[in-house]
Amino acid sequence: MTYEKHLKNAFKNKVMSIIKHPYFGFLVIAALMLFIQLLRIAGVDIPISALRGFGKTMIYIIVGLGFSILLGYGGLASLGTAGFVGSGAYILGYFTTQQGYSVFLIIIITIIFAVILGTIIGFISLRIEGMYLAIITLAIAQIINEVFKNWTSVTNGNDGILVDNKLVIFNQFIQFNHNTIFIIIAVLLFFIMVVTFNIMKSPTGRALLTMRNSSSAAQAMGISIFKFRLLAFIISTIYAMFAGILYGSYFRIVTPTDWTLSFSLLILAAVIVGGSRSIYGIILGSFLVFGLDLVVLQNRDNFGGFFVEHPDITIMFNGLLIILVIMFYRGGLIRLVNTTYLKLKKLFTKYYNKWRVYRYGTDTE
Amino acid sequence: MGAFWLELVIVTLILFVVYSFFKIFFLKYFSNKTRVKSIAINIMVVIALFYVFIIIYQAAKVKYGESAFDYMVFQVINQIPNIAILTLATTAIVLIYKTSRTTNFAQSMMATFGAYFAAKTILFIGEDRWSQTTTILLAMLAGALVAFLLGVFIDAVIIRYSRDKTPVGKQMITMGLVIILSGGMPILFGTNPLSIAKIVPASEKIELAFLKNIGFISRDLFITKHSLYALLITVGLLGILFSLLRFTKWGLGVRATASNERVASMMGVNTKLITALSWGIAGFLGGVAAVIMAPSDIGPALMVSTQVNGFIAAVMGSFTSFAGPLIAGIIIPPLRGLLVSVVGSWNIAVLYAIILAVVLVKPEGLFGKKIEKKV
Repeated sequence: MTYEKHLKNAFKNKVMSIIKHPYFGFLVIAALMLFIQLLRIAGVDIPISALRGFGKTMIYIIVGLGFSILLGYGGLASLGTAGFVGSGAYILGYFTTQQGYSVFLIIIITIIFAVILGTIIGFISLRIEGMYLAIITLAIAQIINEVFKNWTSVTNGNDGILVDNKLVIFNQFIQFNHNTIFIIIAVLLFFIMVVTFNIMKSPTGRALLTMRNSSSAAQAMGISIFKFRLLAFIISTIYAMFAGILYGSYFRIVTPTDWTLSFSLLILAAVIVGGSRSIYGIILGSFLVFGLDLVVLQNRDNFGGFFVEHPDITIMFNGLLIILVIMFYRGGLIRLVNTTYLKLKKLFTKYYNKWRVYRYGTDTE
Repeated sequence: MGAFWLELVIVTLILFVVYSFFKIFFLKYFSNKTRVKSIAINIMVVIALFYVFIIIYQAAKVKYGESAFDYMVFQVINQIPNIAILTLATTAIVLIYKTSRTTNFAQSMMATFGAYFAAKTILFIGEDRWSQTTTILLAMLAGALVAFLLGVFIDAVIIRYSRDKTPVGKQMITMGLVIILSGGMPILFGTNPLSIAKIVPASEKIELAFLKNIGFISRDLFITKHSLYALLITVGLLGILFSLLRFTKWGLGVRATASNERVASMMGVNTKLITALSWGIAGFLGGVAAVIMAPSDIGPALMVSTQVNGFIAAVMGSFTSFAGPLIAGIIIPPLRGLLVSVVGSWNIAVLYAIILAVVLVKPEGLFGKKIEKKV
């Protein structure tokens, strides 16, 4: 009897085990993005601005994921994000258009640079903590931005670098267009989400979480603050720089004015609004802060172009969201979504049981 | 140029080695170790800063020849309005830190709000009705008062209800305020370019004859009347503020709130009023600073660099004291002016690197006390 039942449910169980797998959600999100791009390639009339908006939002999600390891897990508030992302974009711009290096070499250079930068800031974070760390990282971002402005032989000063996306792979020039890069971003986003998930659930993630709650308790439990702070900064910087590479290739122009305080603040807004310790939270927050604006509101056809003429209203809305979330929903909006889902589920079960009683009667035996 | 960097690195290394020797071999003979250590570090930092000045002087001498000293004095005099702006901004930031335990990122936006209102006031009064000085001073007062009200409003609506949040959470609330205000101001005041003239036209100057007479400088140098007004207003305002803090009941309340807010409120200090007034005064100082800046084009990003400098000055001088950030605010703009004469457009990067080094050597700030962490 049970064996027959098992056979009957075998397919269902297999499907359920796939759906319940933690990577399935990431796959769905990446596939959804790819689907939009493929529709556009196939000739469906999706507005180009909306498509570009999705691409940009995915880049911001990657930055946000790195930032969430730092802020949500490490408890380290940093405002240096803009500087790191900018460095990645400039590395791509300099080494492709001016030097003609291979993509793989550029990736290795980026990782080395990110490790160096992350280590420096990690060391600084050992001496300066809490609120002061945000200020000091802000100063470092300013220094990096000044380097972008003044090192004209590499960065081309205030005019910025144009990235022509003629990348070298295996000794051949290959011209990339926006569509290919969109696909690369979506695939990378999936892998980065998987990596982030594994970091968060690994001993490293738990050690970081302990450190966030109490550094003294963490030290008492044998967790090396030195090692994990450095690690958190290095991971976050590598993420930011990779996002920078994607940013450079997708936006195609890199200027110093992109990497100001407001960029860091908006990334912070996305992470805080969504929920700093949840991958889905960051995706939600990024779509709310960047995606809504880039995909829907920046389109001239929507709302009669009202938000195109008044871009400041969306900025104000973001600020309001941050304050409301910090004051009333401490886990971010994703927590609100989760609790609402649980409540609805409870309500549904309650009324489903009532209906069953009404339909079949109670079990009196 | 290369020699400049080399010398800087060598001096830093020598100081480091000397300090290490002191720490290893001589520190054990003192009974009060932490105090002696802190004094030793302070001496090192002062020597290092002094040496930076010497290096800059040498580099300027190579670049400008005999008139290097005059050029440097000229750069310092040029920075007087910036000293005024930076000390006002830093004092405002520290005042809010003392009462609300948060680093206020919205300080620049409150100041810019005042500047917008001042510019609108000038448009309302009309530029020709009274003399320029009267108009600008009136506009400054109006802008500062509006910024005062904005500060009180922000405290009463948001900050008061987030007292139990973590310091980093509160900091993020102020960042949210930055985003709201930077989006809101263009909506409120329109996107047409607004400008504020200098308090006195830039052409009116006073010759610094007495400096030449005593042989301090060899050329004719001028100070603009605008700088003089800025200096006078700043000294007046800060003098009034510090005497209020020192001698009035409100000042006592601020100091009590700074040391422990809960106990202060138990002892009958009206902490709500005190934080509200602190936010208001911070807005007032910011508004004055924004008008002194005399911007040709007012936008949301007007005071951002001042804000960053103010934070860095406050970290360098230590948030725990009022005098430290003030001194750091007085040191930083001339240092930047001197660096302009040596490294040109790299001045901000080098300045921040120097300050970063100072802060790394002494994380509690130049004039701060080390607070032992309780577990």
